[in-house]
Amino acid sequence: MLKVVVPMASAILATEFVMAQTEIVGSVDSKCIIISETPGVYGNPNPYKLTTATTDGGVQPIIRYDVLAADYYKAVIEHPIAFSSSPTLDDVVTWTGDVEVSEMSDTNMADYDTNKVEYDNAHEYEMTVAGSTWFKISSAADYGYSKSFPAGTYTAIVEAECIPL
Amino acid sequence: MTNILPSQAGLEVNGLVYQYTAVKDPETGMIVYVQNEYADGSGYIFRNADDWTGLPGNTIRKKFVFPNLNAELWGPGSIEVEGEGSVEDASVVYSYRYDTCFDPQSDPSCPGYEEQVEVPEIPIYDPLQDQLVQEDMERKARIQEQEEEEERQRRREQWAISNALEDLLGDGDNPGLVDPVAEAMALALTSRTLPTDYYYGLDGREYFDTVVLEGGDIPDNPSARRSNLAQQLLHQQMVDSQYESSQQETK
Repeated sequence: MLKVVVPMASAILATEFVMAQTEIVGSVDSKCIIISETPGVYGNPNPYKLTTATTDGGVQPIIRYDVLAADYYKAVIEHPIAFSSSPTLDDVVTWTGDVEVSEMSDTNMADYDTNKVEYDNAHEYEMTVAGSTWFKISSAADYGYSKSFPAGTYTAIVEAECIPL
Repeated sequence: MTNILPSQAGLEVNGLVYQYTAVKDPETGMIVYVQNEYADGSGYIFRNADDWTGLPGNTIRKKFVFPNLNAELWGPGSIEVEGEGSVEDASVVYSYRYDTCFDPQSDPSCPGYEEQVEVPEIPIYDPLQDQLVQEDMERKARIQEQEEEEERQRRREQWAISNALEDLLGDGDNPGLVDPVAEAMALALTSRTLPTDYYYGLDGREYFDTVVLEGGDIPDNPSARRSNLAQQLLHQQMVDSQYESSQQETK
């Protein structure tokens, strides 16, 4: 059997090894923005109660969530369960509170309250619609067993988070 | 919109925010339309529908941005509810801006501004008050007066000559009344002014008409025959009609 050997010319290019690096820069702006629109105020309808109810002289805080991309975030809002600053308290404070959608920019957000998940003092909303949603928080603190709050300034904090899914 | 937006020319609407609370049963259907008609009634310049069907009622707030639409385009606005439910605490807020260069002449920095050209005050010239013109007019008036006077004079002379001629012709048989010099002058004038046949006499007599009828017969005009027959027929019909009506009255 004959084998044909075909000589193949191979050219070896004498080149230098070159390497370059280039960087890619990207910046990500949050597609979920939280804005505190209205700061809350506790009313003091009786000595042992602090409440944000408007009928008791309080103001309910309002937080706005601006979501630019639907289905990518969930909002978690916690109503207060402790004072961040207050006079010394030597008795138990009983906390109650709630979070609800007060306004919306799209009718499809109307069932946010229906679909929200509650645990402890947290209210978790799936942000399934792009747009703005206003959440209104109510908070009330009862001191002891109808015991008068000591005089002073009381501050409590509402925590609002926007968690990427 | 004229009672909502300022009546300033050059106003442009660039945004709108509306808010209302939908009151409804989550099970029912409801669509809310927030809308503004065109000022000329040709449809809607803005219309947005919120479909609350199967959703619980709540407060909605929406914001819209427009590309600076002339305020004159905006007609009456309304909120229309279709289905079961109602709308409470509704508010619609329009955002607008004033185009300061709507009238380019209002500000030199506006595009299209044109420098105002100051028109110099031109004194009104009344030529009738010019001294030279007045003098010229007076000169012309004098000349005209002079010409009129000359014309009057010429007429007076002509009249005098005519009178002299009449006197001469009227009283020529009385040599005692005629001044020989005046007569000679009158005759000289007469020879110049009167034609030579003025003195010729005409033989007075009566000229009678002479009628000549060849054959003694004037034939009818055949081309007018149809007209004559038609008139005759019409006349006959009229007479018959009168006769018949008189006969009926007698009966």
